[in-house]
Amino acid sequence: MFRVRIAFSKQDPVRWLSHLDTQKAFERAMRRAAIPLAFSEGFNPHPKIAFASALAVGIVSFGEYVDVDLAAAVDPAEVRERLQKAMPEGFGIHGVKAVPPGTQALMAVVNRAQYRLRVPLQEPLDEAVIAAALSRSLAEASWLVEREGKKGVSTRDIRPGLFQLTGSRTDDALILEMLVQTGSEGNVRPEEVLEAVCRYGDLSVDRERVRILRLGLFVAQGERLLTPMDVL
Amino acid sequence: MSPICDISQILEDELLRKVTKPTRYTGGEHNQVKKDWSGVDVAMAFAFPDVYEVGMSHLGLRILYHLINEQPRMVMERVFAPWPDMEKAMRSRGVPLFSLESRRPLTDFDVVGFTLQYEMSYSNILNMLDLAGISLFAEERLYGDPLIMAGGPCAVNPEPLAPFMDLILLGEGEELLPRVLQAIADFKRDAGLGAIAGGAAAAGDDLAERRDRSRREALLLHLATIPGVYVPALYRSEYAADGCFLGTTPIREGVPAKVKKQIVADLDKAYFPTTSLVPFMDVVHDRVMLEVLRGCSRACRFCQAGSIYRPVRERSPETLKRQAEALVKATGYDEIALTSLSTADYTCVEPLIKELIATHAEQKVGLSLPSLRVDAFSVDLAKEVQKVRKTGLTFAPEAGTQRLRDVINKGVTESDLMETVESAFSNGWTSLKLYFMIGLPTETEEDLEGIARLAEQVVYKGTAILREKGMNKSVRVTVSTSSFVPKAQTPFQWEPQAPMADLEEKQAFLKKRLRDRRISYSWHDARISFLEAVFAKGDRRLAQVLHRAWQKGCVFDGWSEFFRYETWLEAFQECGVDPADYAYRAIGYDDPLPWDHLDFGVDRRYLIREHKKALAAALTRDCRADQCAGCGVCPTLGVSIDLRGGDHVPSPDRL
Ligand code: SF4
Repeated sequence: MFRVRIAFSKQDPVRWLSHLDTQKAFERAMRRAAIPLAFSEGFNPHPKIAFASALAVGIVSFGEYVDVDLAAAVDPAEVRERLQKAMPEGFGIHGVKAVPPGTQALMAVVNRAQYRLRVPLQEPLDEAVIAAALSRSLAEASWLVEREGKKGVSTRDIRPGLFQLTGSRTDDALILEMLVQTGSEGNVRPEEVLEAVCRYGDLSVDRERVRILRLGLFVAQGERLLTPMDVL
Repeated sequence: MSPICDISQILEDELLRKVTKPTRYTGGEHNQVKKDWSGVDVAMAFAFPDVYEVGMSHLGLRILYHLINEQPRMVMERVFAPWPDMEKAMRSRGVPLFSLESRRPLTDFDVVGFTLQYEMSYSNILNMLDLAGISLFAEERLYGDPLIMAGGPCAVNPEPLAPFMDLILLGEGEELLPRVLQAIADFKRDAGLGAIAGGAAAAGDDLAERRDRSRREALLLHLATIPGVYVPALYRSEYAADGCFLGTTPIREGVPAKVKKQIVADLDKAYFPTTSLVPFMDVVHDRVMLEVLRGCSRACRFCQAGSIYRPVRERSPETLKRQAEALVKATGYDEIALTSLSTADYTCVEPLIKELIATHAEQKVGLSLPSLRVDAFSVDLAKEVQKVRKTGLTFAPEAGTQRLRDVINKGVTESDLMETVESAFSNGWTSLKLYFMIGLPTETEEDLEGIARLAEQVVYKGTAILREKGMNKSVRVTVSTSSFVPKAQTPFQWEPQAPMADLEEKQAFLKKRLRDRRISYSWHDARISFLEAVFAKGDRRLAQVLHRAWQKGCVFDGWSEFFRYETWLEAFQECGVDPADYAYRAIGYDDPLPWDHLDFGVDRRYLIREHKKALAAALTRDCRADQCAGCGVCPTLGVSIDLRGGDHVPSPDRL
C-alpha cells in the first residue's frame, strides 16, 4: 500500500461543492491523471480517500489536506503535476508527500483551524471600536451558542475552543482572524465566533453576507503549530 | 458595472448561499467550454426546461454542446430551470435567467433553444422565458430579441407550443443545428447589424420597431427554407365552427407545405464528442454515455421513440471502443453506459462488452446496460457486465397476457419471461424490476390479472431457485405500472386514452391484488398521464391553456411535489377548452391531425395498417431480421438500415 498526502486549495467556483462532491471530484481527477487508485474490496469497490476535515459549502480554503491510497508507488512530484492538470478550475494542488506506513490518520491528528472572515459593516466603525468590542467579548468567561443537532437544539460553550482572535477593518468591512479547535475534540465554527463577538462585543455588522476563508488546518503539539505536511 | 459582473457578484455574495444545491448554478465543471465572445458570430443557449441534474443527464445536450463549441465562430452555453428556491431568490433580487458558462443574461444570446423531452416540462419553458425577461409570445418579439427555438422528441407534435416558438427543428440535430446557426450568423452579417441581440429598437420608436419586426420576419422566412426547420408563425391552423380541427397550412409563398425531419444517414460518421462535461453534484445519469445505435425496429405500437428514430443505424465497435477510451480519459468516470432504445439488439454487443471490460476493468471502470430485452441473452450480457460492478435488472413485458402483448406487438412470450427470470435468479440476482403499462387499447380485467399472475410466478420461480441454491435470502420483485399515453406518429395515435377513473381503478385493483410481501408495487399518477395525453395530441389552442396555467403558478409539473392538477383544470375551464376532447377522443383515419404538416417519414398507411393489425392482435416482424414492414421511413428519408455485423443476429424466437 502506498499512501500520499495532498495539500490543496478550494476557491471559486468549487467552493460551492459539498464534501461528497469534493471527494468525487478528486476521484475523477485521479482517474483522468492516470494515477492508480487503490480500491476497497467487495461488490461496489470504492477508492480510499480520506480528508482531514469537512469544509462547509461556500467557504474558500487555502489549506485543505487529503490522504489517498494508491495501488502502486508513484513519485509524489509527479502526482502533484499530473493531478493539478486534471483538477477542475478552482482547485490548486500545493504539495504532495508520501505517507510513511504507520502514520496516524489525518483526521485523528488535525485539531486546529485558522479562519479569516470578512463581514460588511452596517455603519462606519473605527479600529478602536473594533478593538474595544473584541476585548469586551474576550473578557466573557464563556460564549454560549445554540446548535441544531439530530436530537434538537443544544447549547454549547465555544469559548474554550477559541485560541486566537484578532480584528481589523478595511474600507467597508470588518476582518476577523481566528484560530479555533477542530477535529475529534470538537469543532468551533467561524460563524459562531462571529455571532459571539457581535453579541458580547455589541457590534453591528451584516452577518448575512459574511465571506469565510479557511487559511489552514493544523496539528497543535503543545505550543507548536504544525501543518499536516510538517508532521510527516 | 456590466450586467454580467452584476449577476456574478449577486450570485456569489447573496444567492448561492441561500439555495439548496448551489452547484446547480455555478458552472465550472471539468470540460466546460468558456469562449471569448468577441470572436463569435452566433451564440446559442441550450435550455433544458428541468432542473440541472435532470438536464445534465441528457445525451443530446452532451453531443450538441461540444459539437457547436467546436465550431470556431459559434458558442453554446447552458441554462436549466432554476429550482423554486432559486427562482424566488432571483426574482426578489431582480436577477434575470443567466447561462452557466459566462453568467450572461439569456437576452444576450442570438438563440435560446429548448429541448422538448416530455410534455410536463412545458410550463417550465414559459417560466424560463419570463425569468429571462423575454416576451413569451413569438409575435411580440423584435429583431433584437433572441430567437426561441425548440427540438427533441416532443417536436413530433409541437403545436401546443407553436405561439411561443420562433422555430422548431425536426429530427436529429447533429447536422441540422450547425446549419441553422450558420444561416443565422450569415443573415446577421449580411444585414450588417452585428449581434442580433442588443440591436432592438428603442421603446416608443414606432418606425424602428416596425423595421425590426420585418427584419425578424425576413430572417424567419429565410430559415423556413432550410429542410427540417418549422416556423410556426408561417402556418395557420383552421377549425370548423363546431371546433373541429381542419388542418394547418402555410400562409406565405415559398414555405413548404410539409416540413420534413432531418436525420444522419451514417451514425458512424456522425459527430460524437470525445470529451464530456463532468458535473460536480450527483446527476441522474452520471457516467460515460456511449450511443451504440439509434432507432429500434421492433415496432412496439405504443412507442413513439420506435417510430421517430427509425431506421436502425449502428456505430461500429471500433468507433465505440475509441470513443469509450477517449471519454474515460477525458472525464474520469467510473462507468460506461451503452445506450440506445434496445442495447441487446446491437449486432456486435457481445464482443464489444467483452473488450470494453477487458480494457477498463483495471481502473475499476464498470459497464451498464440501461435498456435490455426480456430474454436470456440479455441476462448473459448483464452477467458479463456484473463482473466489475453489481447492477440491477429491469425488464419490460409491458402487458400481462399474450393477447395484449400481441396487440402492442411486444414480441415477448411468457416462456421468454420465465426463461429470463430463471437465468437471472440462477446467476445470482435476487431482486428484479418489471415494467408494465395499464390502460392499453383493448385491455380487460384478465390482462390486469395477468400482470399480477406474472409477478407471482416470477416470485415463485425465484424463491424455488434460491431455495435450491440453499440461499436463505428472499426474492424481491418490484412491479411498476405507467399509464398508456397515445402519442403522435404511432399506430395508436388514433386511440383515446383510458379514462382517468378507470386508470385509478386499475391501479387500485393491482394494489389489492399484489399483496405478496415479496412484491412491491408502484404506479404513475394518472392525472399526470392524462395531461400528457392532452398535450401529446393537442393543437395550438392548448397554448392559451398552458399560458394560463403558468400564470396561475404551475411549474415543474413533472415533479409530484409541485404538480397542481386542480390549477390545471381551472386553466382549462377559464380558456373554455375541454381537456377530455383531446385525451379521450377516438380519431378517425381520415380526420386531419394537428401534426399532419410535419413529416417524420412514417407513412400514414403503415400506421393505419398497424393499428388494424393491433386490434386483430396480429404481429409485425422486426424489419432488421425479416422483410421490410413498409413504414416508409427508409424511402422517404433516403436512408437505410445500417447494421455493423458480428455473429449475433436478432433472436429468431422473438415471434
Ligand atoms: S422502411 Fe422498412 S426497413 Fe426501413 S425502417 Fe421502415 S420497415 Fe424498416
